[in-house]
Amino acid sequence: MDPLLLLHNTLCGGLAAGGFGVLFNVGYRGLPWCVVSGALAVALRTIALGEGLRLEAASFAAALLLGTSVQLLPSSIGLSRNALHVTGCIPMIPGGFTAKAILGLFAVTAHTPHICNETLVTALENLLHVVFTIGALGTGLAIPIVLLRADSRKASQPEFR
Amino acid sequence: MQAQTRARESLEEVSDLTLAFGRLLMEAGASARHVEVIAKTVALGLGAERVDMGIGDCSLVVTISRGYEAITRIRQVGPVGVNERLHGALTAAAERIERSELTLTQARNDLTTTLRDCSRHADWLIILAVGVACASFGRLMGTGWRGVGPILLGAGLVQIARRWLASRNANPFISATTAAFLGSTLCGFGARWVGSHTAATDVIACVLVLVPGVPLFNAQCDILEGRPSVGSARGVWAAVMLLFMTIGVWLALELMGGAG
Repeated sequence: MDPLLLLHNTLCGGLAAGGFGVLFNVGYRGLPWCVVSGALAVALRTIALGEGLRLEAASFAAALLLGTSVQLLPSSIGLSRNALHVTGCIPMIPGGFTAKAILGLFAVTAHTPHICNETLVTALENLLHVVFTIGALGTGLAIPIVLLRADSRKASQPEFR
Repeated sequence: MQAQTRARESLEEVSDLTLAFGRLLMEAGASARHVEVIAKTVALGLGAERVDMGIGDCSLVVTISRGYEAITRIRQVGPVGVNERLHGALTAAAERIERSELTLTQARNDLTTTLRDCSRHADWLIILAVGVACASFGRLMGTGWRGVGPILLGAGLVQIARRWLASRNANPFISATTAAFLGSTLCGFGARWVGSHTAATDVIACVLVLVPGVPLFNAQCDILEGRPSVGSARGVWAAVMLLFMTIGVWLALELMGGAG
């Protein structure tokens, strides 16, 4: 694991989360927590990727650890846990893959059949990265929320049919 | 008869306030579970004995009962955004109502005050923050250092265009396409001008502010927590938003002569 890469990604993750914290109208008191959550999430993902995990697995591990850490924080930090989850995981949302996938699908229509296959495969590959990574992030966050939820007030139990 | 009318009026007021809390929370980007928990807290704290709630993607329904009296009301939900400060203020107000610190009238006044005081950050700060966030995203996606400036400017323009269009009540999907096109075009030509070798990634990085991250998370959360209808609706909304955002980028790339 290259420590410079880890430092770079941690800083970028923190800045991205802090920027989105401002966009989401998080108060000044809560903004440092957004920066920390984003930095932590991206650092964990970078370490997991460095250990040879796939993007989806690394995202899942980072979201799980972030979700667990956030649930263990006291409620007096001045920011909802939900906001910390979202701002922390936002730098890990594969927006770039999504755009590349859709642009790839557009490009399929413009190419000759020979190149078309390669373009289509790349686009589908990107699309699958998006679906699985978002699924991994959501599941990683949901597990600690469900198991460690600090909120004692319960909504009526949903009925699964 | 008079007592019955007063009880009914009171239930009307309680349902009005309950739906106001629910609507504002939905518009502030809360998950369906949180909306239900807070709305029920408000109604029960103001004297309701039973509360049943239906949460749709663009409307809320509540039935509140006390003794033999019951009332059902529906409320439309406006455009959904993300406003953490409002979300926090509403949650805190609901907790005060639960602790019986506020009467119905006080709760209504408190809500009015909250809405008045819950301002957004200054526009220049949001534009700068969005630019820095997208530039950081870009670095995480592997863009070169030369691309950072154009991404920052492009993302700033995306945010300016989006805010301007939102202030004119433009359709959010068309706004996304327009903002993405303007931002990507500026970023793309800027990246070429500074000699960035990652121009195709730069134009994508500058529109990442338009990725509907919160609705995507809420959609998953809602489905996992047993509310597949509202979760699916949010998921579809987010997917269509992504599509329109990408159309804007694609148009910009076409204008630039297929940099992608």
